[in-house]
Amino acid sequence: MGSRALLMLSNFKFKPSFAFSSSSKSFFLINKNPKVRNLSTKTRSSLEPPDVPRLAETARISLSPNEVEEFAPKIQQVIDWFGQLQAVDLDNVEPAIRADTQGDNLREDVPETFENKEALIASIPSYEEPYIKVPKVLNKE
Amino acid sequence: MLSTIQTPRWLSHLPSRGHTKSCSLYTLASGQPVTTTSLPAADQSQIFSIRESLLSRHLTAAEVAQSYLSRLKQTEPQIKSFLHVSEPEKVLKQAQEIDKKISRNEEVGPLAGTLVAVKDNICTADMPSTGGSHILEGYRPPFDATAVKRLKDLGAIVVGKTNLDEFGMGSSTEASGFQVTSNPWDLSRVPGGSSGGSAAAVSARQCVVSLGSDTGGSVRQPASFCGVVGLKPTYGRVSRFGLMAYASSLDVIGCFGSSVADTGILLHAISGQDARDATSSKREVPDLISQFISPSSLKSRPLEGLKVGLIRETVDVGVDTGVKTAIQGAAAHLEELGCILREVSLPSFSLGLPAYYILASSESSSNLSRYDGVRYGNQASSDELNSLYEDSRAKGFGPEVKRRILMGTYALSAGYYDAYYKRAQQVRTIIRKSFKAALDENDILISPAAPSAAYRIGEKKNDPLAMYAGDIMTVNVNLAGLPALVLPCGFVEGGAAGLPVGLQMIGAAFDEEKLLKVGHIFEQTLQGYNFVPPIISDVL
Repeated sequence: MGSRALLMLSNFKFKPSFAFSSSSKSFFLINKNPKVRNLSTKTRSSLEPPDVPRLAETARISLSPNEVEEFAPKIQQVIDWFGQLQAVDLDNVEPAIRADTQGDNLREDVPETFENKEALIASIPSYEEPYIKVPKVLNKE
Repeated sequence: MLSTIQTPRWLSHLPSRGHTKSCSLYTLASGQPVTTTSLPAADQSQIFSIRESLLSRHLTAAEVAQSYLSRLKQTEPQIKSFLHVSEPEKVLKQAQEIDKKISRNEEVGPLAGTLVAVKDNICTADMPSTGGSHILEGYRPPFDATAVKRLKDLGAIVVGKTNLDEFGMGSSTEASGFQVTSNPWDLSRVPGGSSGGSAAAVSARQCVVSLGSDTGGSVRQPASFCGVVGLKPTYGRVSRFGLMAYASSLDVIGCFGSSVADTGILLHAISGQDARDATSSKREVPDLISQFISPSSLKSRPLEGLKVGLIRETVDVGVDTGVKTAIQGAAAHLEELGCILREVSLPSFSLGLPAYYILASSESSSNLSRYDGVRYGNQASSDELNSLYEDSRAKGFGPEVKRRILMGTYALSAGYYDAYYKRAQQVRTIIRKSFKAALDENDILISPAAPSAAYRIGEKKNDPLAMYAGDIMTVNVNLAGLPALVLPCGFVEGGAAGLPVGLQMIGAAFDEEKLLKVGHIFEQTLQGYNFVPPIISDVL
């Protein structure tokens, strides 16, 4: 289907312009002319492949053996697809935390009373006033 | 008794491009036939129309509410937009409160009597909020989201919570933990996602307007699939307080309506800084309402000189022919209105999709770690803490959510941050700059909202990459934090009356005003289309 075509990074020369209208005016310069290799969705990332059981442990989600078997190829496929970005020249490009870094929107660090405490407590699965109950923590070696 | 559905473009059901306009008779739930006599504002806005009817005592809020509730009840078994519908008595009681105020000549808000549906990942204190997930089944938040509070303060009535892909992760609403929503245009097809329920509810006229959320296209793509208007505001325009976080640097709350004017009025109601959201912008919200002029007041070529850039990479390989045709038709219509149409190339366009999925998966793996079964949500029984976490999450989360958390965990693992997350952040910079450059030269950019119209339920469910590919038109806008409006512009073959196709208009940061103005004029002058799904004509 057409969808595979949409997943591929197009083989574009990273010319010294980010965008140009049909009047061919270049607006933004970057350093060199890096190329992107024409990659298919079948590229292999050069890093260690995902160890699904270990990731599940880190993410605190228990997976059945069936799930591990089912998820591993799908995850691998997506990670490989992510790997396409490794071929793009990103030297000297600043990472952006979010679109508009219009920060400094902080409020006073002053405590406020939350009115609806009953609703908060009502949501707690295991409550023994005034404690939220959890089972014991086993020390791992 | 006027019907609550009024549109001057009440045309034949065939998606022809002819200039056929037919006057139509249709009925209220009461069974009485009425004609489409419309007040000036009714052409453009259901919200205005309802308010006018209430203030002129032509209709009561209770009658309006009853009409929508009946239609909701009749269509819901087939469409399944809602995870929770408010009890009719509660809705009518709120409507009656409005009627009492009006009879006492008291002020009522601009949204008085408007029935709103809210996506279930947006917190409502008096209704369950599940995020579409079993892990929050039965959860009742102790507060309203800021957007919800603002709507209620202005007189809107929340009629229910709509279905979604779990925690916003998906593009078809098939990944909901509870049910699949059907597209009102063809019940065997998806409504799009993740805000599929909100889009379908407005499309099926089960409510007037609805709230959704858009992280990678989750308002715009379902708007396109369901033939309604969808608006994604600039990141920071609307407070995210009360929106269950999926990817915090990308999430926004968005609006659905059956017209551009309604969508704009809804946006205006919920926009503005909120002390509870540190990423909400201090920028003043302009008047987004009084610009919706009637088409009869428009001069010819009302958009003379407006520079519109069609993104070349979005009408290329992989996009359905029918979609391309519809977009080209929309472009021609814009030219008729006086716009200067040019092609714009954004060479970095294709980088956005993998970058988006890296960022979204990574951020979601962090954001969803709060669902541990301890302070809220469903708890698995265990005699050890880690197993409590592991089993609660295993039982509560669906497969797509689990996979994304695992992918995000991988991408953020020690040693891999530079390879994935950081690179994706760098791509974000490139894309942001490329869009800014293009928008310095053009007033708006246009593209399809999706590479195809609605596909069949089950078609892409087992192929994650095929599902992700459908987001290509929308994710870059989230990476750049820009506003975008999707409105129906044509049809492709399929279903009983064709499947709608949406045109996406992208604006500069905080320039929702321009998008709404252009969208409104486009919509009001578009001839020959009827964007009401056939299922409703049967019910009306």
